[in-house]
Amino acid sequence: MALVEDTNRFTVSRRVYFDPTVHKAELERVFRRSWMFVAHESEIPSPGDYVTRVLGTDPVIVVRDEQGAVQVLLNTCRHRGTPLCRASMGNSSHFRCSYHGWTYANTGDLRGVTFQVDVYGKDFDKARFGLYRARTETTHGLVFATWNPDAAPIADELGPMTYYLQAIFGKLDEGYEVMGPPVQSRMPCSWKSETENLSGDGYHTPVAHQSAFTMGLFARPEDLTAFGDVPSKRFPGRVVDCGNGHTIRIQHLPVVAKKPLYLGYPEELWPEITRNLAPGQVDMQSRLSVTHGTIFPNFSFLENFKTGTDGPGSMCRYIRLTLKVPIAADRTQLLWWHLVPKAASEAWKAESQRAYVRTNGAAGMFEVDDGENFIGVAEAHRGRVALDGAYELVGGLHQPRAEGLEWPGDVVDADRSEHTIRAWMRRWQDLMDVAT
Amino acid sequence: MTAPARAVRWTAPTQSGPPADGVTHAEVAAFLAYEAEALDSHQFERWAELVDDAFTYRVPVPVLQDNVSSPGYDTGSLLLDEDKTSIIQLWFGRFGEDIYEFAWGDHPPVRMRHFVTNVRVRTSDTPDMLDVRANVRVHMVRQTMQKGELVAERFDRVRRTPDGLRLLSRFAVLDDLVLEAPQLRVML
Repeated sequence: MALVEDTNRFTVSRRVYFDPTVHKAELERVFRRSWMFVAHESEIPSPGDYVTRVLGTDPVIVVRDEQGAVQVLLNTCRHRGTPLCRASMGNSSHFRCSYHGWTYANTGDLRGVTFQVDVYGKDFDKARFGLYRARTETTHGLVFATWNPDAAPIADELGPMTYYLQAIFGKLDEGYEVMGPPVQSRMPCSWKSETENLSGDGYHTPVAHQSAFTMGLFARPEDLTAFGDVPSKRFPGRVVDCGNGHTIRIQHLPVVAKKPLYLGYPEELWPEITRNLAPGQVDMQSRLSVTHGTIFPNFSFLENFKTGTDGPGSMCRYIRLTLKVPIAADRTQLLWWHLVPKAASEAWKAESQRAYVRTNGAAGMFEVDDGENFIGVAEAHRGRVALDGAYELVGGLHQPRAEGLEWPGDVVDADRSEHTIRAWMRRWQDLMDVAT
Repeated sequence: MTAPARAVRWTAPTQSGPPADGVTHAEVAAFLAYEAEALDSHQFERWAELVDDAFTYRVPVPVLQDNVSSPGYDTGSLLLDEDKTSIIQLWFGRFGEDIYEFAWGDHPPVRMRHFVTNVRVRTSDTPDMLDVRANVRVHMVRQTMQKGELVAERFDRVRRTPDGLRLLSRFAVLDDLVLEAPQLRVML
């Protein structure tokens, strides 16, 4: 019996999350095969800029080489395995090993071998000893890499998800930049918990985040009446299965207006947003309450509109990226980035950061409550009995497909659905079935 | 090796004045101990009385740079950015009667214990304003089992008023690069 059974009672074994044997297998079958996010290109704008990250479970250097190309290099010397970079970030044209001094260009090519003739003779072929390189592609500012030489190009991998990434990351003339390096934290939970939550779980919000509703962090009708008619209190939403386990949820504010409303962004940016997007993408971005999604396996994005984070009447948007690095089945390292429009004023960036750190930042109120659930789920699986159980992921199986939209992918016309978690689990099961 | 050019938005306040006298040191150390007591025992109103209305609290994102003169944090981005109003409304407000039941991550609250040491008090150019550095360790226990701690250096500004000392700002620099405490929403 498969761990994930795609039947009319879509079942997922709890071993998928917390069985160490399953976790060991997925490190090979999922993390050695998939495209994974490693950095935002604004982190390494100039030749020589580098950051150290983890690709799957392996430490890597993400560096812009002297020709301007992004390289993702395994952070271990080809000679005796010593790490070449120890810092979180820096700038260097070369990496020199601290043990015997082998020196590499920031393309990964071996350039210098200490006492080369003395130790290796005259015929040593340096070309055979470049640093191990991952395949790398950048799309919409997001740098992805994979250890899989046979992986499809990233555009083929992402498919319809590209349309939504364009709407989020491609809507500004000057694009987005990181406020700074990622916050890094560790939590005793499964890497899948936040991943599947952000794939499109709008079901948990009214319960897990009820205190945020009470505190006015979700827009109330009186926050919106200045911008248009507010015929209902209900926030309409949809979820999309883009294939290959990539999914997104899009929720709108209950406001009706004659022109696009990019609430939370500086109004001087509004015309270029409309100009840069197709009509269906404008419809997605206008009146946006929140959108979030997951790029399989372990990368998620969130664009959020929040009110009341900086006193009454305040409203702002922010984009967050999160990467979930598996440490063990029940232990996860999270990386958290905050993105802001490059063209926004410093005052706006600071305001966006306040909204972000107080809500969806690593120390934000939403994360305090989500973390409680994610950690709690892991604690509930310390024993044996829970592992024998299975989830029936049938939420939203009856929900209708959305009609007449420009939006690509399998779009369900419902805000509270398990449509996206099923899509993620299907991809996971496909990869786990493949013999290595 | 050099670091990439990065935005400089927030840095620890420069505290270069001459050391204050011993009595002032003792007075400030006691003030910080009572402030920590108010936090650890959920005496939110008492804490608010010790804090100036213009209070700001910032914790920068820790980062490891290959540069001996690096401050150990990013000068462009923050983990926490709060003021007195946001702390009272969005932090303490979670313990209010109508909210606490659904403030899941604070219910039951993470038990926190502040250890404040190495208090250094310097006088400043502004009369009645003291520059205070201190080391802080916050030990935490969530529910029955999960433990953790955060260690930081504080850069505080403390104002002397007719009603006593008041905390005007706090900038806390974390030692940890990978944060592993049960809760990161913490007044260090």
